[in-house]
Amino acid sequence: MLINRRKDTLIAAVLVAPFLAIYLLVFIWPTVQMFGISFTDAPLIGDGNFVGLDNYARLDSDPRFRTAAWNTAYFVLLTVLPGTIVALLIALGVSRLKGRAQSAVLALFFLPYILPVSVVYLIWDWVLNFQFGISMHILDWLGIDRVPITKTRAWFMPAMAVVTIWWTAGFSILLFLAGLRAIPAEIYEAASLDNASRWTVFRKITWPLLYPITSLVFTIQLISQLKIFDQVYLFSQGGRPNDNMVLVYYVFQRAFQQDQGGRAAAVAVTLFVLVVAVSVLQFQLLRLSGGRR
Amino acid sequence: MIVKGMIKAAILATVCFAGVAKAEETIVWWDFLGGGDGVRMKKLIEDFNAEHAGQIKIDATTLEWGTPFYAKVQTSAAVGEAPDMMTYHASRIPLAVQQGVLQELTADDFAAMGIGQADFAPATWDAVTVDGKQYAVPLDTHPIVLYYNKDLLSAAGMLDENGLPKGMDSGENFTATLQALKDNGVPFPLGSVTADGNFMFRTIYSLVGQQGGELMTDGEFLAGDNGDKLANALGVLAGWTKAGLQSTYTDYPATVALFTSGEAAMMINGVWEVPTMTDLAAQGKLFNWGAVELPVIFDKPSTYADSHAFALPANKGKDMTPEKRAAVLTAISWIEKNSLFWATAGHIPAYAPVTKTPEYAAMQPNATYSSLTANMIFDPKTPLAGVAGPIFDVMSTYFVPTLNGELDPAEAVASIKEELNGL
Repeated sequence: MLINRRKDTLIAAVLVAPFLAIYLLVFIWPTVQMFGISFTDAPLIGDGNFVGLDNYARLDSDPRFRTAAWNTAYFVLLTVLPGTIVALLIALGVSRLKGRAQSAVLALFFLPYILPVSVVYLIWDWVLNFQFGISMHILDWLGIDRVPITKTRAWFMPAMAVVTIWWTAGFSILLFLAGLRAIPAEIYEAASLDNASRWTVFRKITWPLLYPITSLVFTIQLISQLKIFDQVYLFSQGGRPNDNMVLVYYVFQRAFQQDQGGRAAAVAVTLFVLVVAVSVLQFQLLRLSGGRR
Repeated sequence: MIVKGMIKAAILATVCFAGVAKAEETIVWWDFLGGGDGVRMKKLIEDFNAEHAGQIKIDATTLEWGTPFYAKVQTSAAVGEAPDMMTYHASRIPLAVQQGVLQELTADDFAAMGIGQADFAPATWDAVTVDGKQYAVPLDTHPIVLYYNKDLLSAAGMLDENGLPKGMDSGENFTATLQALKDNGVPFPLGSVTADGNFMFRTIYSLVGQQGGELMTDGEFLAGDNGDKLANALGVLAGWTKAGLQSTYTDYPATVALFTSGEAAMMINGVWEVPTMTDLAAQGKLFNWGAVELPVIFDKPSTYADSHAFALPANKGKDMTPEKRAAVLTAISWIEKNSLFWATAGHIPAYAPVTKTPEYAAMQPNATYSSLTANMIFDPKTPLAGVAGPIFDVMSTYFVPTLNGELDPAEAVASIKEELNGL
């Protein structure tokens, strides 16, 4: 069959063009602008003077940036790996159920994921609120002193991690389930004929065959948790936002609260570079460890 | 015939033009009044629209208070999409002028409204003035007051013969009142928004004012002994926490709930909660309550206040027509002159002719606490001040740990000084 290559290219270009135009307009162009602004002392609106690397140099001695970077890293540590493990465990459990029961249980685990973050905040505030939260009444009943969970530094990030895992695990569970279903039943049958223990089956069959999904879930989690903002913002309202600061919140605060577009852009660029570097690094690591087998 | 036709056309055109000029002028209005006061403002707007039917119509939108409101005003003014008029905090005006967000209100504008400097208290007028120019018309002042539960205080023997709390004259006596309530089994003698440093700024700044302290002198923050005065103020509040006399780690809604449910006997909060209390009391769901000027903890009475004002945004590349401007000025003038109703939202109307009326003098609890107008202090005049502004932000960071006993007041002041002067 004759293929008109030129025509193909043309059609491809036409099909891609709308996306490309929008992508260039609302993503690439603002990103380029952001890099430019980060070298100026611009306010939120309007132009500023070129100040070179000043905005970046200031980050080094900026205590709030340090708090934000540390809290973000801490949050990633508390959510990414634990979140992946929890989702995997739940998926393994759900996959043992059959038919309607499985659908029902899966729906229960997936439900939080479809809630908007503001609803998630309200639900958990009803649970954790120091004066009126349900959990505080349980503590009273047990005779334990109440803990101001969302109001103290020590408890805030762990609480956010629990809330976030509860909220987002549903999606990861779904991915894991799809992965589990793709593993052919014959392999498990063969293993049971050989009297393989459950642990051996998991370690030698399920884990390696599920590995691509695991690394996908891990990567998605990592990128989305680095960009944490909503939960921290909502739970810090009327609280202590500066102690709970995370990087995206810091960008927001510099830009919208303190009217410093240039310094906000510098933080945003730093976060951008960080996300790219971490993702690439993590992808390489997973590829290497995957290739070892 | 042709001439006649032309004359006819000319007459027709004149009539039409006159018709256009007389057409209803719509004013786009933004505010941030989301609470009980917002309900009252909506009523005022409805009344205004009814009275000016066919001439002027206010199209009002209520937006989220604080940073979201001010960020939206700033960005929309920059692209010519801001409203025709809006509510604004007087404390934010220095920043707004620096950002070029507001239009100046000229002497002609005030003449058109029939309102002038003489109609406002000097401090209120000064709060909307930057470099001798006015940028807004003050609508009210909204100080903080002490709310109290008459039933609980009376049970503890802490009400005087006028039904006012005892111990309002010194720190020691007020602490004794709190202690008496505690001893009488009240879980939280004082409901305090201890989880929200932004909110506590108002109380703490009032206490600094009671010692004659100032936040900013000659562009320097907490110079001289002003730092010590801040530490004293923090020390008193931290002391109440230590003695178990106030609620800890309490956010704003929880504080109001503690008070209205009778778990807290007193509460320091803004006058904007007055409608909450009146409405609950009207439904028979509240105890006997009252509101008074803050206790004098230090040397002299002093209360922090801010002011809601009306301002006209400076829309980039979009000139206001004289007709529109006239309509906006009419609206502001009308609401100012009808602001007696606004006082039911707890606020003290800024327009003095209203507060001088016998109706206002009879209004409760406003009349009880309106004595504080003589002792009000406003934010320092700097672009860094104002609700949700940088000063609020820095201070709030250190207030929460100090008020809940995590941090020593002196250490907090040292950190605040360092951060504020580094802004």
